[in-house]
Amino acid sequence: MEVKLVHLYPDVMSLYGEYANIAVLRRTLEGLGAEVTVEKIGYEDSADFALADFIYMGAGTERAQKYALEKLAAQAVDLKAAIGRGVPVLFTGNAMELLGRSVTDAGGRVWPCLGLADYVTVETDKRDPVDVIAHSPLLERPAVGFMNKCSTTSGVTAPLFDRLSLGFGNEAKGGPEGYVDGDLFATHLTGPVLVKNQELLALMVRRIFAYKGWEAPEAVPALPHQAETYEVTLSELSARAKG
Amino acid sequence: MRKWLAILACKVLRFVGGLIGRGSSLPGQIALKLCPDVLGRLEPPPYVIAVTGSNGKTSTVEMIAAILTAAGRKVIYNKEGSNQIEGVTTLLLTNASMGGRVKGDVLLLESDERYAKYTFKWFHPTHFVITNLYRDQLTRNGHPEWVYAAIEPALHPDTTLILNADDPLVSRFAVGRDPAKVKWFGLEECAVSTKEHRGVYHDGARCPVCFGKMEYDCYHYAHIGRYRCTGCGYERHATDFTATAVDLDKGVLTIGGKTEITLAFKSIYNVYNILAAWSACSLAGVDEDTMAGVMSSYILKNGRMVTFALGERRGTLLTSKHENSVAYDTNLGYIRNQKEDCVVMVIVDAISRKYFTGETSWLWDIDFDLLDAPHIREVILCGKYANDLALRFDFTSVAPEKIQVRSTAQEGVDLLLGQGDGLPLYVVTCFSDRDKLLAHVKKD
Repeated sequence: MEVKLVHLYPDVMSLYGEYANIAVLRRTLEGLGAEVTVEKIGYEDSADFALADFIYMGAGTERAQKYALEKLAAQAVDLKAAIGRGVPVLFTGNAMELLGRSVTDAGGRVWPCLGLADYVTVETDKRDPVDVIAHSPLLERPAVGFMNKCSTTSGVTAPLFDRLSLGFGNEAKGGPEGYVDGDLFATHLTGPVLVKNQELLALMVRRIFAYKGWEAPEAVPALPHQAETYEVTLSELSARAKG
Repeated sequence: MRKWLAILACKVLRFVGGLIGRGSSLPGQIALKLCPDVLGRLEPPPYVIAVTGSNGKTSTVEMIAAILTAAGRKVIYNKEGSNQIEGVTTLLLTNASMGGRVKGDVLLLESDERYAKYTFKWFHPTHFVITNLYRDQLTRNGHPEWVYAAIEPALHPDTTLILNADDPLVSRFAVGRDPAKVKWFGLEECAVSTKEHRGVYHDGARCPVCFGKMEYDCYHYAHIGRYRCTGCGYERHATDFTATAVDLDKGVLTIGGKTEITLAFKSIYNVYNILAAWSACSLAGVDEDTMAGVMSSYILKNGRMVTFALGERRGTLLTSKHENSVAYDTNLGYIRNQKEDCVVMVIVDAISRKYFTGETSWLWDIDFDLLDAPHIREVILCGKYANDLALRFDFTSVAPEKIQVRSTAQEGVDLLLGQGDGLPLYVVTCFSDRDKLLAHVKKD
C-alpha cells in the first residue's frame, strides 16, 4: 500500500504552519497501514504529477501567490491530467484562487489563473482575518479554522461549505465558502486545516483510498489529542458566534 | 481655539483618568475629536525618535529612554506602551504647553506597525528605528509583507531610518531612499551564528525585492543573518553600528570591536535591542561611555523576564508573545542553552488579552524540537489549548514520556508542587496567560 503525497511549493506557499496538513495526513495514512512518501516540490523544482496520489498547496503572501501561479501555470496541463485521473487535490488559503479564472490584484492587474473552476478573485487593500465555523454537506459536523485573506471570490457554483456560522465566505459574511468538484477541494481556510478537522482529514484519506482502488477503511482513527483540539475550538468559536 | 481646547481637555481627562486608574487612550481619542489635526499643530522637540517592528519595541524604547535620561536629556515617551494614535496624542498633549510646544529634548515613541502611518500623518520622526519583521499576531497583522506595506507610508523622506541590516525585509525600506538618510545596525558573524538555517520555516528564502533565491553566509537566528540574493544582488548592507562579538555563555556583547557590554539577559534578542538603542542614542549625540555604562547595568523593567519561587523550586518566567513563533523560538533556545537539569512549562490558555481568537496555527511554526535536550527533564503543557500543544509535540523529537498535559495552569502548578525533584522551572507563555502562573508563585 504505497501512497505518494505531493506538496506544492512549501518553501513559498507557507503562510502559517501549512506543512502540518501533510504531516497529519501522512501519519493517519501510515496508521492505516499505508507506506507514504511525501514529495515536496520546491519553488525551483518542476513537479511530476504522474505518480501523485494526492496534491496539496497551502496559502502564501499575495506576492508569493503570483510567483507560485507562474510556476504552476507552466505545468497546468499535467495538473489537469492528474485531476482528470481522479487524484484528490486540496488547495487551501489563497492557493484556492489559483484554480479559478483570474486574480485581480489590489493594483488592478489581472492575473489569468488555471481555469479549472469558473470563479474570479479580486484582491483589496483591506484584510479581515477571521475565525471560521463552516458547514458542509460532506461533513457531519462543522469545520473550524481561520481565514487570513484580503480578497473576494465570486462565481463559485459549487462551494465546499454551503454556509458559515462564523466568518466571511467567498464573497459575503456567513456566505458559501470554498469550492468542490469531485475530488478537487479548495477553501480559503488558512494553515493546518486538517489538524483540527479530523473529519475533513478522514474525507481526504477516504478519497485517496478510493483513488488507489483500495477497500475503504472501516474507520479513520483520530490522532491522539486531535478530537480534543477540535472540541475546544468549536466550543470557543460557537460561544463567540452566539455572543 | 480648537487646539487649545483639545490640549486642555486632554490634560484634564488624563489627570482624572490617572486618579481612577483609567487607560491612556481615551483623553487622546477625545482630543482628536475636538481637533482632528491637533498633532500637526504642535511643536515637537528637536529629536523625535520612533521605534517599530514585530519584536523588541518596548525593550528598545526603554533602553533608549534610560540612556538619554542618563545623558541628561529630558525624554517624553509612552511608558505605558499605548502605541496607537490615541495614546500618542494623549502623551503629546499632556506634555505640551497650552500653546502647543511639546516640552522635553526628545520625544520617544513606540509605534504600532500598522498604525504608524496614522500617527505620523501630522508630524514625522527625525529618526525611525525598525527592529525586525516576523510572523506576528497573524490574527491582526496578516503576514510580514502586509505589515511592511503598512509601515512604508509612515516613512517621511526627511526621516533618518535606523534599520536592522540583518533582516532582509526591514532592509528593503532603504530601497529608493537617499542613502544619507539611512543608518544601519547589525551583527558580524560570531559565536552565535550558524551556517545552516534553524527553524520550522524560512521567511528569508526568497528575495524581498525580486523573489530570487537568497543565499546566506550565516544566520544569527530565524531569517536574520548575512544574506545575498542570487538574482538581483540585493544584499545585507554594511553597518554603521556593529556588534562585532557576542558570547551568550559569558553574557558579553562587543560593539565596534572595543566596547564590551554585560548582558543582563543572555539572549540574542537582547543583543539586537541593545544595538538598536545604541544606534539611536549615538545619532542623538550621546557618548559611548554613557551608553555602555547604562547598558551594562541595565535590567529590563518591562516584566518580560520574572524570577520567582514555587514551593522549593526556583522559577523563571520567559514571556513570549503568543502568535509569534520567533519570540517562542528565542526563549526556547535560551532554555536549551542552560546547562542544568530543568522542567519546562508552556501555557496557552487565552491566545490574546486584547481580542478573541481560537487560532493556533502559529504553534506549528514554533521550533519545539529545541526542547529535545537531555537536561530538559519534563515538559508540562497547560491551558485551554494544551491538547493543541500536545498534538504539536507529537510531531517533535521530544520524548513522549517527558510530556505532561494539564487543562489549566493551576493543574500544572499542582503537579509541580507535588513533585519533590526541586529542579529549576522555566515557564514560557504570553502576557495574556502569565498571571495564571504568577498568582501561585512568590516573585523575587
